[in-house]
Amino acid sequence: MNDIRARLTTCFATVFPALEAAEIPAATQKTVAAWDSVAAITLLNVIEEEFNTQIDFEALADLDSFDAIAAYLSDRVAAGNSGA
Amino acid sequence: MMTLTEALRERKRAPVDAEPFRVILACGFTPLHLSTFLAAHLQRRLPSRPVEVTCGLYGDLPGTLRESAAKNPGAVAVALEWADLDPRLGYRNLGGWGPAEQDDIVRQVESRLGSLRRVIEEVADAVPVAAAFPSLPLPPVFHTGSRQAGRAQARLNALAQQAACELSAHASISIASAQHLDLVSPPAERYDLQSDLFTGFPYKRAHASALGEALANLIAPAPPKKGLITDLDDTLWSGIVGEAGPEGVHWDLEHHAQIHGLYQQTLRALADEGVLIAVASKNDAAVVQRALARPDMILSPEKIFPLEVHWQAKSGSVARILKAWNIGAGDVVFVDDSPLELAEVERAFPGIHCLRFRPGDYASAEAFLTGLRDLFARKRISDEDALRRESLRSASEFQSRMAQQDAPEEFLRELNGSIAVNAQAAGDPRSLELVNKTNQFNLNGRRFDAAEWRALAASPGAFVWNAAYQDKFGSLGKIAVLAGKVREGKVLLESWVMSCRAFARGIENHCLALLYERTGAEEIIFCFRATDRNGPLQDFLARLLGRAPEAGARLERREFELRDLPLYHQVQWRES
Repeated sequence: MNDIRARLTTCFATVFPALEAAEIPAATQKTVAAWDSVAAITLLNVIEEEFNTQIDFEALADLDSFDAIAAYLSDRVAAGNSGA
Repeated sequence: MMTLTEALRERKRAPVDAEPFRVILACGFTPLHLSTFLAAHLQRRLPSRPVEVTCGLYGDLPGTLRESAAKNPGAVAVALEWADLDPRLGYRNLGGWGPAEQDDIVRQVESRLGSLRRVIEEVADAVPVAAAFPSLPLPPVFHTGSRQAGRAQARLNALAQQAACELSAHASISIASAQHLDLVSPPAERYDLQSDLFTGFPYKRAHASALGEALANLIAPAPPKKGLITDLDDTLWSGIVGEAGPEGVHWDLEHHAQIHGLYQQTLRALADEGVLIAVASKNDAAVVQRALARPDMILSPEKIFPLEVHWQAKSGSVARILKAWNIGAGDVVFVDDSPLELAEVERAFPGIHCLRFRPGDYASAEAFLTGLRDLFARKRISDEDALRRESLRSASEFQSRMAQQDAPEEFLRELNGSIAVNAQAAGDPRSLELVNKTNQFNLNGRRFDAAEWRALAASPGAFVWNAAYQDKFGSLGKIAVLAGKVREGKVLLESWVMSCRAFARGIENHCLALLYERTGAEEIIFCFRATDRNGPLQDFLARLLGRAPEAGARLERREFELRDLPLYHQVQWRES
């Protein structure tokens, strides 16, 4: 899980360069102004590249915070659906 | 292939304190990652400037195009897809795919392509345009199915190709090669239905990267190489001429040496486009002359200048060739079949582009020839390109004759030199080309994109001149550009370049005399900046000013006239 959070932090830093490292674990779509619909898709695709996985667009609406995404990725790793 | 993560990181490397290079991306779909990839690929090509890519309204490709020129960008990129030409050719609309619709779709595409073509041409009259024609497969509209090109499908493809063909004739429009895109991005791997339906962005990321790179290549292409130095034995021809004799070397199918013939054919085409071709060979010069004189040679010897044929080190040959051409190693490709020779030259000239010719390697020959061609790729061939080899020969002859003169001034007067000045030269593509590629006699090394050049030419009091030169040794073509502003009796000289082929003829004296005479100015202010490579310009200004030049150096008309610089040539002045 720690490895997933560290790699996810890198993804967030790539998509939201203005975000301080300390702010990333608490990031949500509500608290990050730059997290609009375009950024959401970009973040999703960067995560797909980092974790060598496919994320369904249908899941996008629920992936609205760092914690939610980390939990989603952990579930996928547990299910064997990711290169994490 | 660049990943999205790499593209986003590339964008972070953009410098923050330089003038941005602005590009408008015109497309009918959500630009999403195409915008990111286009910006990232451009940023790699333009590392000294931050790249800004802006997009228009979703679904309004014509509107984005119409508004683009007024925003004065450095370039406009157009990514056209079938759905922009008729929504029924996309997956986001349910307009009907039946036989009754097919003729109407063709008519709609024809009409829409016609109007888009006109808008793109209008934009390109003001701004360089890079365009990619439909890269996604047509949806399953046609009763002939996907394996057969029925009349309607063939007609649609023909219409798109015809529009691309007509647009490519415009001097400021570049069209992405569909053939190249097919090689780097397999057609079956391009479309992302889910992304198209959920976000309006139709491309898989790999294709978005490939398309962004293709458009970036058109907007900011690598500068073409200027010269090629080739080996002879087992390179220009098959065999060792010193052993087999002039009749014993080959470059044809009959002798299984066609690869050498194709190489010669490529070099001949490059020479005809103005690329300089020289030979560096360890051989007996007399034997080589006889081989080159064979009537079946595809690369005829008059297209080669100079010939370095002896038994000395090739790095020495390359040094003499570069001196004769008066260009840097970074502008040159060196081709040899021997890894040892390539290493020796590369060690002496780290900037030179070395390519190994592999005579028996058919698997790599096609890529070799294509790669060679790409190193010299350019949008158009100018009159100056065609003149280059002959003007270098004449410049070389001039330099050697000049070095023998006891009375060089008399020699210069007897040249019967003539300078033809075009005082309305902002729109002449050669002007910007010269400014952006000249290093040695360059006032400040400043490069301009099309938008900056237009802005300079349109500013109050602006002038842009270029000058062509010829004398009894031949024509050098357009060799100088002067650009700046005249205000309150002063010339602010912002750009001044002159080709190195024109050195030592006193043409620069005429340039300054004309500035005073034609503008009526009493003073010239030089926007000078020292660069690593503008030593010849610095030397000239130091002699003229009597001191080392500095930024904003000034020269009054009275001081210039006191210098009494010799003016050897006749001047023809043209205002239109």
